Amino acid sequence: MKELFPKEHVMGFVGSLVLTLLALTVIMFKGMSNGVAITILLVTAAAQAIVQLVLFMHIGETEDKKALYVTIIYSVVVGLITVFGTLLAMVWGYM
Amino acid sequence: MNMEELFAPMKEPMILGAAISIVVGAIAIVVGLTYFKKWGWLYKNWLTTVDHKKIGVMYILVALIMLFRGGIDALLMRAQTSVPENKLLNAEHYNEIFTTHGLVMILFMAMPFIIGLMNVVVPLQIGARDVAFPRLNALSFWLFAAGCGLLNVSFIIGGSPNAGWTSYFPLAGTEFNPGVGNNYYAWSLQIAGLGTLMTGINFIATIMKMRAPGMKLMKMPMFTWSALITNVIITFAFPVLTVALALMTLDRQFGTKFFAMQDGGMDMLWANLFWVWGHPEVYIVILPAFGIYSEIISTFSRKNLFGYKSMVMSMVVISLLSFMVWVHHFYTMGHGVMVNSIFSITTMLIAVPTGVKIFNWLLTMRHGKITFTTPMLWALAFIPIFTIGGVTGVMLAMSSADYQYHNTMFLVAHFHYVLIPGTVFGVLAGYHFWWPKIFGFRLNEKLGKSAFWTIVVGFNVAFFPLFILGLDGYARRMYTYSADTGYGPLSMVSFIGAIAMAVGFMLICYNIYYSFRHSPRDENGDPWDARSLEWATHSPVPEYNFAVVPKINQLDEFWYAKKEGRDITAGKYERIHMPNNSGAPMWMAGVMFLFSFFFVFSVWSLVIVFGVLTLGFMAYRSFEKDDGHYIEVAEIEATERRLRGEK
Amino acid sequence: MSKVNKSVPLEYSTEENDLKIFGFWVFLGAEIILFATLFSVYFSLVDRTGSGPIGKELFEMPPVLVETFALLTSSFLIGLGVHAMRIGRTKAMMVFYILTLLLGAVFLGVEVNEFLTYIHDGATIQTSAFLSILMTLLGTHGLHVTFGLLWGSSILMQVKKRGLNAKTANKAFIFSLYWHFLDVVWIFIFSFVYLKGVL
Repeated sequence: MKELFPKEHVMGFVGSLVLTLLALTVIMFKGMSNGVAITILLVTAAAQAIVQLVLFMHIGETEDKKALYVTIIYSVVVGLITVFGTLLAMVWGYM
Repeated sequence: MNMEELFAPMKEPMILGAAISIVVGAIAIVVGLTYFKKWGWLYKNWLTTVDHKKIGVMYILVALIMLFRGGIDALLMRAQTSVPENKLLNAEHYNEIFTTHGLVMILFMAMPFIIGLMNVVVPLQIGARDVAFPRLNALSFWLFAAGCGLLNVSFIIGGSPNAGWTSYFPLAGTEFNPGVGNNYYAWSLQIAGLGTLMTGINFIATIMKMRAPGMKLMKMPMFTWSALITNVIITFAFPVLTVALALMTLDRQFGTKFFAMQDGGMDMLWANLFWVWGHPEVYIVILPAFGIYSEIISTFSRKNLFGYKSMVMSMVVISLLSFMVWVHHFYTMGHGVMVNSIFSITTMLIAVPTGVKIFNWLLTMRHGKITFTTPMLWALAFIPIFTIGGVTGVMLAMSSADYQYHNTMFLVAHFHYVLIPGTVFGVLAGYHFWWPKIFGFRLNEKLGKSAFWTIVVGFNVAFFPLFILGLDGYARRMYTYSADTGYGPLSMVSFIGAIAMAVGFMLICYNIYYSFRHSPRDENGDPWDARSLEWATHSPVPEYNFAVVPKINQLDEFWYAKKEGRDITAGKYERIHMPNNSGAPMWMAGVMFLFSFFFVFSVWSLVIVFGVLTLGFMAYRSFEKDDGHYIEVAEIEATERRLRGEK
Repeated sequence: MSKVNKSVPLEYSTEENDLKIFGFWVFLGAEIILFATLFSVYFSLVDRTGSGPIGKELFEMPPVLVETFALLTSSFLIGLGVHAMRIGRTKAMMVFYILTLLLGAVFLGVEVNEFLTYIHDGATIQTSAFLSILMTLLGTHGLHVTFGLLWGSSILMQVKKRGLNAKTANKAFIFSLYWHFLDVVWIFIFSFVYLKGVL
């Protein structure tokens, strides 16, 4: 029975629960400034994404890992450019 | 929509004429196939194929037909604007024609042409037997065909899209465009775009994982490198278009407020999303052309490509930068100096890696032994003419100056000066270059060169005047102008150039017919004495590409093997595993065509039916048991003997 | 079939299998861009509520927490399912996968209820730009989950009928990648739509 619950997975699950609770603190503590809140959200979300990628999706387990990391990092970079470029041109540029 | 509105376009004589010729043409094809009893052959060998070479040929065939459709649009536009206050086309027609011209040329001519060439050539260049996912590859083609069919049906049933190929809101919204034309826009691009996204994933997997043993990334031919980078851009740009078109559909057909003019909508957001996709798209169509030029220039200078590493790096840099420049398409939209400055800088930066490539091509030719074949002529014309397009691009990149040039004929001239010498000359060069690999004979050189000169001269006569007209204040997308603007004479010159280009393209078509009838049949697979692996196998290419997969030690292994008298195709035959043909991709695309056709007209009951059928096809594929088939050693031996010309 | 590689897990063991997993990772890269685009639109339109309600007025944390916990747990369970598959425990694998899909259904149920509540309160997808993108972003994720339920069920049927072999293991593994990805997207929705929305 124990062999069905490998340590990494259980730790990963606990980790993501902890990170979710941490994210919840931004609404639990009323006095928090916006900047701090957004930072906490960004860090916890990114950390959970990494937990998923590495511990659950086993991105690093084959010889393709270099290509896979490049793929994911490239898409995250392009995604961020899309989000922030859009905000820059559509919202912040008009402020 | 009632029947009268549906077929209203046919009240116009030109459209009615076109509709009749399409029906007559279709009947002629059906009658011909039946009379010559070729339905079985067509279905077995072409419609159900998963062979990358045949899929590539089909892509290119459709691209050539669409080149004519888009070309006729162009001739109509040039004819209409050749004299002031012309009555050939009214404003509404003109709008539909420039919209269709742009959509057809970029999405249904340039894209299939380059994807077709990548399909034919890349697996051969890397020594693979097919792409990573052959069934998906077939589906990509048929989805493209479905999207293409949808756009082509629009002008006879319901009306063409008319808001430009960029389809900006609010003009593209239902308040200003209540008909179905722009619904066709959304769905034909969506369906074709899905096919292209699948191609992107397919070719990345193919190039990363299926190269011949010993062919490391830095030993790949340059066309394959360009294909890899292009498919990376495809994979990361097309999802943006998918979202944008979905939002457009929701706004037009379900009353959402994304791009609306009330309730918080942001009409300019459409332009932003469109160009986040649209700018990488133009690099998608140009990079494979750069790869083709690299192959042709090195082959016909009989020299290694100069600066291999910098060629690779420049394409990698271009791919990243291509996602960072899009706002230069709408500097004048009002977001101010800071934003414009950032994007001006990134836009000017992206000219640098392209410049590196131009110098590398020139240095490749230096001290080379140059032969002026038709493909080489296209490549040589590309270099100076594309450079004109490129430097006018740097002019446009300066946002403050762009306030003068934006949406004038100057812009139109710029992008035609990069797209035509870049992409069109490139695919024409590639098509001439690789034609003998597929068909076993070369296209006629004399006809090829006549077509070349006619098109190149015609192109410059057609488009150079537009730079001047644009600086004179002639705006784009205008169906007419008054005589006292003075635009008349140069517009007439431009029209004459367009006619010359049309003659050139007809010569290209005639060349196909002439060469089929008269060209000597190639005995070996290497008519140009070329450098890369695809020339090491026979022409036409057997189903399995290579009887024995060659081992690679260096870049241009085949070239060195020839020089040193080695046969890189020698080895022991083993049974070869190949995928089975399947009709499912074609039928599934047909169902998706019907799904989107009825969606355009909001016939929800049928939309649901065909949507469920689409899911049904996916379920079928999931449960399907298909292990492919083996080609046994005896058959390989017989095929190889036959192709070598032995009895 | 081509050579079988015995030194890697079953789902990677043939050339075709290896290619399919690689191709799916590339597809996930494309999906990241798809959701990034939806997020770009969301952040651009989040304050453009017209005459309609703002996020703070709509969002209720308890159902959101149920959805989050359901997806996180389902992600954990499918991870256990893949592990069970690798040690050859087919029955355990199927149990974990079924539980995963059930939790996915719970997630969908709560989300559908959320949408119905909004609509009942007069906040529809047509009310404002904010509501249009909110429901499109959540809806796209939800549609992906729905498709996942259909896909996952068909894989389970194949495992039951044909047993665990190179093909079925490959499909089950790829499905797990999809499921984990949807969980990651949800985490970003949870953080930047709901939590940020009620700050």
